[in-house]
Amino acid sequence: MELTLVGLQNSGKTTLVNVIASGQFSEDMIPTVGFNMRKVTKGSVTMKLWDIGGQPRFRSMWERYCRGVNAIVFVIDAADHAKLEAARTELRNLLDKPQLASIPVLVLGNKNDLPNALTVDQIIEVMNLKQIANREVSCYSISAKNQVNIDITLQWLIQKGKRK
Amino acid sequence: MMSYSKRDDDSGKWLLTPRRVGYHHYFDKTTVLQDARAFNESPINAKKCRALLTKILYLISLGETFGTTEATELFFSVTKLFQSKDTALRQLVYLVIKELSTVAEDVIMVTSSLMKDMQPTSDVMNRANAIRVLCKITDASMLQSVERFLKAAIVDRNAKVSSAALVSAYHLYSIAREVVKRWANEAQEAINMKPQSAVSAATSYMTSFGGSVPSQYGVVSTSNIVQYHALGLLYTIRQTDRMAVSKLVQNFAAKSGMSGSVLRSPFAQCMLVRYACKVMEDDPSSTRVIYELLEGWLRHKSEMVNLEAAKAICEMKDATAKELFPAVVTLQTFLSSGKPSIRFAAIRALNKLAMAHPAAVAPCNIDMENMITDQNRSISTFAITTLLKTGNEASVERLMKQISSFMSEITDESKVLVVEAVGSLCVKFPAKHHVMLSFLSSALRDDGGYDFKRAVVEAIFNFVKYIPESKEAALSHLCEIIEDCEYSKLSVKILHLLGVEGPKCPQPTKYIRYIYNRVILENAVVRSAAVSALAKFGVNVEDEEVRKSVQVLLSRCLDDADDEVRDRATMYLKVMQNGDEKRYVKDDSTYALAYLEHQLVMYMSNPDMADTPFDLSAIPKISRQEEQERGAKEIQSGTLPSLSAAARGSPALGSSTNGGASAPSGGARASPVSAPALDQQAVYAQQLAEVPEFASFGPLFKSTGKPVDLTETETEYVVSCVKHVFAHHIVFQFNIKNTLSDSLLEDVNMLMTPTDESSLVEQVLVPATKLVYDVPGRAYVAFERTVLEEYPEASFSNELKFYVKDCDPQTGEPDEEGFEDGYQVEDVSLAVADYVLPSYIPSFNKSWEDLGGENEVVETLALTSSPGLQEACRDLITLLGMQPLENTGNVQGSNVHTMILSGIFLGGVPVLARCRMTYDSATGVTLQLAVRSGREDISMVLINAIA
Repeated sequence: MELTLVGLQNSGKTTLVNVIASGQFSEDMIPTVGFNMRKVTKGSVTMKLWDIGGQPRFRSMWERYCRGVNAIVFVIDAADHAKLEAARTELRNLLDKPQLASIPVLVLGNKNDLPNALTVDQIIEVMNLKQIANREVSCYSISAKNQVNIDITLQWLIQKGKRK
Repeated sequence: MMSYSKRDDDSGKWLLTPRRVGYHHYFDKTTVLQDARAFNESPINAKKCRALLTKILYLISLGETFGTTEATELFFSVTKLFQSKDTALRQLVYLVIKELSTVAEDVIMVTSSLMKDMQPTSDVMNRANAIRVLCKITDASMLQSVERFLKAAIVDRNAKVSSAALVSAYHLYSIAREVVKRWANEAQEAINMKPQSAVSAATSYMTSFGGSVPSQYGVVSTSNIVQYHALGLLYTIRQTDRMAVSKLVQNFAAKSGMSGSVLRSPFAQCMLVRYACKVMEDDPSSTRVIYELLEGWLRHKSEMVNLEAAKAICEMKDATAKELFPAVVTLQTFLSSGKPSIRFAAIRALNKLAMAHPAAVAPCNIDMENMITDQNRSISTFAITTLLKTGNEASVERLMKQISSFMSEITDESKVLVVEAVGSLCVKFPAKHHVMLSFLSSALRDDGGYDFKRAVVEAIFNFVKYIPESKEAALSHLCEIIEDCEYSKLSVKILHLLGVEGPKCPQPTKYIRYIYNRVILENAVVRSAAVSALAKFGVNVEDEEVRKSVQVLLSRCLDDADDEVRDRATMYLKVMQNGDEKRYVKDDSTYALAYLEHQLVMYMSNPDMADTPFDLSAIPKISRQEEQERGAKEIQSGTLPSLSAAARGSPALGSSTNGGASAPSGGARASPVSAPALDQQAVYAQQLAEVPEFASFGPLFKSTGKPVDLTETETEYVVSCVKHVFAHHIVFQFNIKNTLSDSLLEDVNMLMTPTDESSLVEQVLVPATKLVYDVPGRAYVAFERTVLEEYPEASFSNELKFYVKDCDPQTGEPDEEGFEDGYQVEDVSLAVADYVLPSYIPSFNKSWEDLGGENEVVETLALTSSPGLQEACRDLITLLGMQPLENTGNVQGSNVHTMILSGIFLGGVPVLARCRMTYDSATGVTLQLAVRSGREDISMVLINAIA
């Protein structure tokens, strides 16, 4: 199955991929210039993870890598309140693309280990997730650093692979 | 459209390599772009994608182009292939991305993926290739983020990776100079790295037993190519800093002492030889040191390096026979080498050397004689052409015979070489001209392309030019050529020459027949050239009979089918009937083109001038001869040896044209301002236009030629002066150089004090704001001529005024505080000649008559200061600033001489002068000077310049 990870820069996409793939967390990451491709096998499922750079210059390219995937993972930095507004706009822009209609979306509020991180309910509120009607949308609060809720995230993703 | 690929797809048999013949008939861009959907499929069919990528590359190699959208779409599809681990597929992905990188948008998208492939954990093939692709897709802003990885790659122990990084750095230098400059240490380290075999004990153990080198990295390169690339990068980084380059050369040269050079790669060593030459070129004082290095490299263990060093010595400027000797000896031993490439390189170098120093090459004559029969025709051609230069008169005939025997076997390029050698030989051995001419004319009968035929024709032209006794024979050969010449361009050239030279021959009529035949038999281009040539006979031959018959022939052309031919015939007939020949046919002058161009640009850019017509009379004319000399100079300066060996591509061709141009040429050398000076003036005009204070002065009339030095060249401040004359203003330009490394000058002004009263009023001072050590600056002083009818001569004493600050000798930082200081330099004077632009006119007598005696001023003077006639001519030219005409600047007789001069006075007034001089040992030179011009006052001004 194929998955695409998008989200603003510094939200923890590449870190999350590393954690999923090898269980290793690293503080010291460089911004992704373009994209990374990782193949991860979990049990009987092989996942291809397209991890796309979050800097503004790459955002217009997100769509190209979201076409035809089993699910889109939208990662946000739940502790960075200043950027939530931008994240909401980018998510809406992405989901408005007709090419991506009905592809399930998983919104992950990363970095819930930080003190003033938003809770799941707050994220659903802030990101206006209830407004999204034409597809399946889920939301988890996770921490790639402390490996919190990574297991349920994986379960959700594998579910999407099986359904196809 | 039924596509081949579709059928292939169905049968499941995909070919990795396209079958060349007819393959592309079965697919085109559209099908390929459609099929590219396969890249987005999951899972990826590696085989299918490889074939598709191959097709894309094939199309691109055929010249197919992709639009930006197409390329971008394709690029993004291709990026999906990074998920495949297939090495062969990855290779093709790299290649395609490289090709698309210039067209597609957002190619930086693959940066992260490439950086992953660059990592030491990645496959070595992928690492090197990823680096090379990375340098294509990155830009200056992204480079910062990949810098760390590229630096690491430069010092990677694997030669492939290191080379790839070095070459990439070399390419990136043009887009991100500052970043790449920081990699010098890594490049240095890459040079110094031990070869891989020595690093791992195991591998060296294996190699010592003669086995192939096994390595975890696959094939290990033993060529040390990394050093070559690293040295190239180091030089690129330092090339603008002369000291650094010199140090680079000396460092690596020094290390090549006892224990063998650091530079194990012969390629790198060759580069070092070239850099050494560059150092020598930039700094002549280093010649001694560099020569010793070069001489040492003649004994290097690699033949390649020996050759490079020998070539470098041969190309040294002003090398003495003693200096050349060791290089020639080295080349001589190579002449008998078993390898054809070595023999070729050696003989080619000798051939080039023989052009300038035939005597130095002569000791190799016996070896070269043996090479005439070399199986390789390129070698034998060079051997013969070299022998032609080094040999004596007696051997010429025998050599010619030997060449004739294999002319038909060699390529056109080689034939051109031979022909050019023979052509330059004619100047050396004029007595042998009949042998050479018959060789050339028989060569013409051989098959050959345009370049070859042109070379032959130009060689024959040389005979006409330089060997008067061969002129008639040469012209007859040329007549024969046009009888049956398949190249119109050549026919036109020859017809023109016949037109110029024919009328001067004792029997001009015999050429007329040949020329008129062309009018009957040829195409329009040749016919018009023939008409022009005929007209020259009609005008220049004294015999009235010839004139008449030419007119008859021309009138027959009036019914020609072609416009150009008819027009020319009509014009020439008219000219001949009206007796206007002097103006239209004999006039071989041309405007000084660079100056004319500049004046036209000025005219166009000045809206105030829109209502006044352009003043062509203010543009000086130069004779065709000067124009040609100028062209020749340009060729010479253009072919000055530069660093890159590629620029020396065809050494024989380049230098033999030089040889031709520097051969006998007389005449207009004595002129004070010649064409190059006018080009220089265009440069000055540009600089002056950038000074806002001078904007209102109008167009520049004249700049004096070579700057006049106002100081010695070793003084603290070196100053020279150039005068610029405008309609109402005079601008003095001072070029000032500060030669003190520990001081900084600010606000540098020149205080000019006139020594006598005059109508000149100082108007504006433009200081040089800052003068740092060794960087020349300019200061200007502008005067206005307040009385327009006066053209004052004046002398000024000059003092430099400035504010000086001391600089820290270590950092070069200037002190906060400074003090005022002054510096006296020599006087500058303004003379009548500064108001006159020398100008060429085709016919002095006619212009003299046209001006009439109305404004003539005549004066008889004794020139006490000139010891002889030639000196008197020189002084007059300098004092009047005019152009000598019809070669009268050079004195022929001993007692009587008349020099005629022409010029344009400020304001576009034409002036002519006739200087009749007699010389008597008792009284010296007596001059009767007659000046005619459009205005009497100007005639007076000129007379007064002498009186």
